[in-house]
Amino acid sequence: MDTMVKLRDLSKTYRRSDGSAVEAVKQINLEIYKGEIFSLLGPNGAGKTTTISMMSGLIAPTGGDAFIGGHSITKEPMAAKRLMGFIPQEVALYPELSARRNLLFFGKMYGMHGSDLNKRVDEVLAFIDLTDRQKDKISTFSGGMKRRVNIGVGLLHRPELLFMDEPTVGIDPQNRRRVLDTVKQLRDEYGMTILYTTHMMEEAQELSDRVGIIDHGELIALGTQGELTQQVREEDQIDFAIDGRGWSSELEARLLQEVPGLTRVAYAPPGHGDDSAGEESLAALTAFAARGRQALPDIIRILNDAGVEVHSVKVREPDLEAVFLALTGRALRD
Amino acid sequence: MRAIIDIALNDLRIFFSQRGNWISLIVLPLAFTAFLGWAMGREFGSTQVRLDVADLDGGPAAAGLINRLAASSDVIILCPHENDADNVCHLDNGETALTTEQGINRVQRGRSDALLVIPAGYGQAVQTGASAQLDYYSLEDPTQPSPILQTVNAVLQKVNSAVVAQQMDMAMLEALVGTDAGSPLADEKTRTAMAASLQEDAQRLLDSQPDLVIFKSTAPMETSSLDQGFGQAIPGMGTLFVMFTVLGGMVTLLRERRQWTLQRLAVAPLRRSQILGGKVLSYFSLGMIQFLVLFGMGAVMGVNLGGAPLALLAVMTAFVLCVTALTFALAPRMKSEQQAGGLSRLLALTLAPLGGAWWPLSITPPFMQTIGHLSPVAWAMDGFQTLIYNGGGLPDVLTEIGVLLAAAGVLFAIGAATFRVGE
Ligand SMILES: Nc1ncnc2c1ncn2[C@@H]1O[C@H](COP(=O)(O)OP(=O)(O)O)[C@@H](O)[C@H]1O
Ligand SMILES: [Mg+2]
Repeated sequence: MDTMVKLRDLSKTYRRSDGSAVEAVKQINLEIYKGEIFSLLGPNGAGKTTTISMMSGLIAPTGGDAFIGGHSITKEPMAAKRLMGFIPQEVALYPELSARRNLLFFGKMYGMHGSDLNKRVDEVLAFIDLTDRQKDKISTFSGGMKRRVNIGVGLLHRPELLFMDEPTVGIDPQNRRRVLDTVKQLRDEYGMTILYTTHMMEEAQELSDRVGIIDHGELIALGTQGELTQQVREEDQIDFAIDGRGWSSELEARLLQEVPGLTRVAYAPPGHGDDSAGEESLAALTAFAARGRQALPDIIRILNDAGVEVHSVKVREPDLEAVFLALTGRALRD
Repeated sequence: MRAIIDIALNDLRIFFSQRGNWISLIVLPLAFTAFLGWAMGREFGSTQVRLDVADLDGGPAAAGLINRLAASSDVIILCPHENDADNVCHLDNGETALTTEQGINRVQRGRSDALLVIPAGYGQAVQTGASAQLDYYSLEDPTQPSPILQTVNAVLQKVNSAVVAQQMDMAMLEALVGTDAGSPLADEKTRTAMAASLQEDAQRLLDSQPDLVIFKSTAPMETSSLDQGFGQAIPGMGTLFVMFTVLGGMVTLLRERRQWTLQRLAVAPLRRSQILGGKVLSYFSLGMIQFLVLFGMGAVMGVNLGGAPLALLAVMTAFVLCVTALTFALAPRMKSEQQAGGLSRLLALTLAPLGGAWWPLSITPPFMQTIGHLSPVAWAMDGFQTLIYNGGGLPDVLTEIGVLLAAAGVLFAIGAATFRVGE
């Protein structure tokens, strides 16, 4: 897989005016692959903004370096910056100017001019669905509309790589939905690589190909969601809807004996489980296994051998919240 | 370069998109300048010069001379004799008579323009036809013709001529009538009365003759009182409002960091010098616009702004550069927009009067003039005065421009080294 971003021992120590030091980011190493959505997940104050600010050349690292498309952000900032779009956590727009004026100005700052720029601004306005409000001042916009313009500015120069720092903070669920869909659209339709920071587990879970969990400036976990949850050896929960007529305690014993990793089985006769609502004749079987997906074929084979018909299967992996809890002993939202 | 201009243009667009800024850039400065220009046209622009007279004689002849001097010209105010309720003589303690020392001191301090000393024994000398020497002190260039001195001489000429005429008349009378006992001239009383009457006639005759030289107006006073007032008010209010406008850039810089638009520039593929350059250019432009608004008003009103517009522009440029540099040297030290706003107003309101923006430094005591030159306003005002009042050109204001540019250089170096975007 091609690497788009590489962090090597990236560190930042802030000096407060009283002389004390804040180690906001501690020697982070990671790679972000081309075309993926990579989430940096961590509670407030974890160091997400500091990390993304160093990666985008906004602040200088006190240690290590970040490479964007192979260009060091500290040594070849111009080449690195041309590859990236940046969407800050704040709505970084001029409130006195119209949406269009803001887009035109920042487009110029990326070296675009004339009819090229005008055409691109039209495209971006259409993409963020604000063509009809383009002449209105930003100060008259709702929070969600401002967020959309904020995102639009980062897209102007068609960057390969997009940094988004908590783009859904402070907006309503409808606009949040819109932003999340946009992020996926940018990856799927435009092939962009996206670094997305958030303190919300659900967002990371929905969007990410891979996740880095950051806490107190340290990268404490890194990988796909599956890899992360496996790391904490949390059990998967597998929900089956079966024809209960072939069920027996011998079958339960056989499952526990023959399926590796299976630790527990719970059977609920028809009418008891609410999962199978509407299918009165079906029973619910719940199995817990360390590696749910690997256990699944064995379980189904054994059920088939016993003549138990399987109507549906649902594997519920432990979520990132659980991972964070296991690693830090705290909930993400603390 | 293109990015620098684009940044500056964008800043100007934002500035002018706010109605409040039109008021503070155009309406208020014009209103203040107009008010001050007319007010000062009356105060400083009165076409008068002060001539101190130390009357050490105190007799009727000296009083007569003083009256004649007083009547000779509307332009010359005799001090303390013609002082008024407004203390036009700038007397320190409302003196009714001056000694020679006081007079010299006043001339040196610029309280008056010249001093004429009428010596003790003047009356006696006039009567006996002996010569009486009057001392004249001033800071005027001795190689230049002095209008005050010319006026004094013209008056003295007539007084002396009257004395000469009277003595010739008496000599003729004595020749005709004789001075033996029995002749009316033998009686001392009659003789004195006769002499006095002859001198009066001679004086009256001479007074009825038109003067050859009449001092109507001194060289700097060739300007109208409108020019006089606005010649001070336009550069004065100009420097004040340039400081308000440009130093206000500190607030804008902090606001741009708060609203993250500055950071957005920092992550764009721009060099730090381009961002800094754009910001400097935008505040510099605002300062120049501020000056041009006021000088433009003066030009439209027909105020005499001197004959060297390019030199005027050079002084403006140097001053605006200096204030812009000060803005960028201070901005990184500001903790909040409130602090920056407070400091910019405080600086404008101290540097302006200190440097003579509200009244000419020349009417302040010497030590205030020295201290005043710590303010860039003083150097700019010196330059403007040379160009507007004294008909100077670019070579005459190179010192002022040099000082302002040197200060700008140092301050820019500090500003450029400490300009920060991200942290
Ligand atoms: N300019 C700064 N000076 C000092 N400390 C800072 C500064 N910016 C951030 N910090 C500190 O660094 C840590 C990480 O902050 P930040 O990167 O903003 O976290 P996040 O974006 O994950 O909420 C926090 O403890 C914060 O207080
Ligand atoms: Mg943050």
